[in-house]
Amino acid sequence: MGQVVAIILGNILINNFILFKFLGLCPFLGVSKQTRPAFSMGLAVTFVMVSSGLITWLAYRFLLLPFHIEYMRTVTFILVIATSVQFIEMVILKLSPPLYRALGIYLPLITTNCAILGVTVLNVQDFFVPGKGPAVGSLPLSLLQAFCAGVGFLFVLLLMSGIRERLELAEVPESLEGLPVAFITASLMGLAFMGFLGLKI
Amino acid sequence: MKRLAREFTKGIIAENPIFFMVLGLCPALAVSTSVTNAVGMGLAATFVLVCSNMIIALVRRRIPDKIRIPCFIVIIATFVTIVEMILEAFAPALDRSLGIFVPLIVVNCIILGRAEAFASKNPVLPSIADGLGMGLGFLVALVTIAFFRETLGSGKLMGLSLSHRFEPALVMALAPGALLVVGLLIGGLRWVRSLRSS
Amino acid sequence: MADKYFVSAAPHFHKKDESVARIMWTVNVALVPVAVMGVAIFRWCALGVMLTAVLSAVITEAVIQRGRGQRVTVRDGSAFMTGLLLAFNLPAHVPLWLPVVGSVFAIAIGKQAFGGLGRNIFNPALAGRAFLMAAWPQHMTTFTRPFAVDAVTQATPLVLLKEGKALGLADMGLNHFDLLLGFRGGSLGEVCALALVLGGVYLLWRGIITWHTPVTFILTAGLFGWVFGAPQGFFQGDFLFQILSGGLLLGAIYMATDYVTSPITKKGQLIFGVCCGLLTGVIRRWGGYPEGVCYSILFMNAAVPLIDRFAQPRRYGVKK
Repeated sequence: MGQVVAIILGNILINNFILFKFLGLCPFLGVSKQTRPAFSMGLAVTFVMVSSGLITWLAYRFLLLPFHIEYMRTVTFILVIATSVQFIEMVILKLSPPLYRALGIYLPLITTNCAILGVTVLNVQDFFVPGKGPAVGSLPLSLLQAFCAGVGFLFVLLLMSGIRERLELAEVPESLEGLPVAFITASLMGLAFMGFLGLKI
Repeated sequence: MKRLAREFTKGIIAENPIFFMVLGLCPALAVSTSVTNAVGMGLAATFVLVCSNMIIALVRRRIPDKIRIPCFIVIIATFVTIVEMILEAFAPALDRSLGIFVPLIVVNCIILGRAEAFASKNPVLPSIADGLGMGLGFLVALVTIAFFRETLGSGKLMGLSLSHRFEPALVMALAPGALLVVGLLIGGLRWVRSLRSS
Repeated sequence: MADKYFVSAAPHFHKKDESVARIMWTVNVALVPVAVMGVAIFRWCALGVMLTAVLSAVITEAVIQRGRGQRVTVRDGSAFMTGLLLAFNLPAHVPLWLPVVGSVFAIAIGKQAFGGLGRNIFNPALAGRAFLMAAWPQHMTTFTRPFAVDAVTQATPLVLLKEGKALGLADMGLNHFDLLLGFRGGSLGEVCALALVLGGVYLLWRGIITWHTPVTFILTAGLFGWVFGAPQGFFQGDFLFQILSGGLLLGAIYMATDYVTSPITKKGQLIFGVCCGLLTGVIRRWGGYPEGVCYSILFMNAAVPLIDRFAQPRRYGVKK
């Protein structure tokens, strides 16, 4: 139980994927200009994280480990992720063409979202005993971690989109316009999130 | 030859991947806590970039357009796996400090970006030059960020202590400090560039 | 018709005779009792910290505005206020370079990088304090005993509670009156509850602040502390203790009410106040830090654009 709470708090607040692990920065800066696409992107990323999390876990457990080809992890995982993204692209195109257009190039770029590959690799590091196999409760905990990572990503993305919409009206100094002030904002958000350090329920 | 030189130098300043094209940010922020780590990551990424650019340029006419991105990714992932193994064998301390960002080189937007934008459309030698230049630019940017973060955040440079009177601002070694340094560097360089063009 | 439209960012005014300068200086006046008590309790160091913070803030703003080719507006009192509020958040015996760095950060990064007055997202004084806390935690958490001639370190009540060294006021050798008047360790502007509340009442009377944010903030944090705050069990916390200790009054009355960084609508302000109170309570009870006011306000500052978007007041006569 304690581990569950720690994973939830850790991935959403304390070690937020974007603000502290620096995973997922490119889409964070690219899609956070408006709230609606930001929300959709966050949901898409969460979905890919959980589905990839599941498939990569299964691949590691039943393919890579038994045949002792753990070094193929990077190649396997990224292929799984790329395929999941292709799949979700097709789904979004079918269900909502305007959303597909709104997300634009950032949809296929979910593949290169370090956060997704990052969480799958982290799952292996956290929930597999090196050289032996899955730790206790490995699969549900991995899925939980993937889900919470996505939620943390979505949350910060949403906050950032609200702020950047407001910054459009401000008179930011010219050299700082756009990305630099976004970084500075993220820095201050990070300072605020530091309040959660050491949070233990 | 001149063209090769041009492809090489553009990646270092004018089209610096981090400061002006703003790609490859994730590792830039994460590994720039010390200059040593920055150099390590820069070299690793450059190796992957040059190799993948070279192979992709070699086989560019044989890759079907529709599946080119997954093909690029597999080629890049292969070299990343090689780098992972080399680091684990010959530089385990560095491997540990770089941590999760070694496998993450495969999703470094710079490498995929150059594959798509350049190596798939140009011959081998210019692609190698492009890879070298971009990799070097990435390294230089990484080291610059790390320079500020390490000196301000821990009072050391490459592990050597600087002054005893200076009290390091711990936040610089942490995430918010990294974001601040990068934001100010990008803004500062843009300002310098605007001064030169006016 | 076109010149009847005037689009601008905060602060927005509806009273004719109000101006930014008048509002800022009124708040600065309200802060005087707090400053005086800070010096009375912590001696001259407190004055040094306040002066350096204010001067650094004002000079930084002037330099930046000059550099950008803008009109220098330090006379509007907003940089003065940022410096003063930052000083109030610092322990009285910090080395004087600390408020300088903090003020420069607060004004340059917290305010001017976003475009200056009215454009910032985060409260500049709190941004400065959070930066200082992350950069030099050892200085920022070394508090001194009140009324001591030499600096004698003493932990604040909230620290004692967090570390389990005291279960309540009695263990600390304090009573509620000590807390009210400020006879306890803490930052130089947060300790004297009486001065803070007096200033707050003055600002309410002058119509500079409204009750919505401060009252909900304080009550929520207090209630949370009453329900969850005591290590002995539920509903055994000390409500008054929670309200009177830490930076709650300072934050709720003077920083959560900053026009620029808090919600525009009354409904939004209530939400803001409640959420700040909850966050403060959670960090105080379960977080690593003993005090959460600064972080809860900064966190909620980030959410304000979204709050403003979704907490719109009901429009009458219009179909939904």
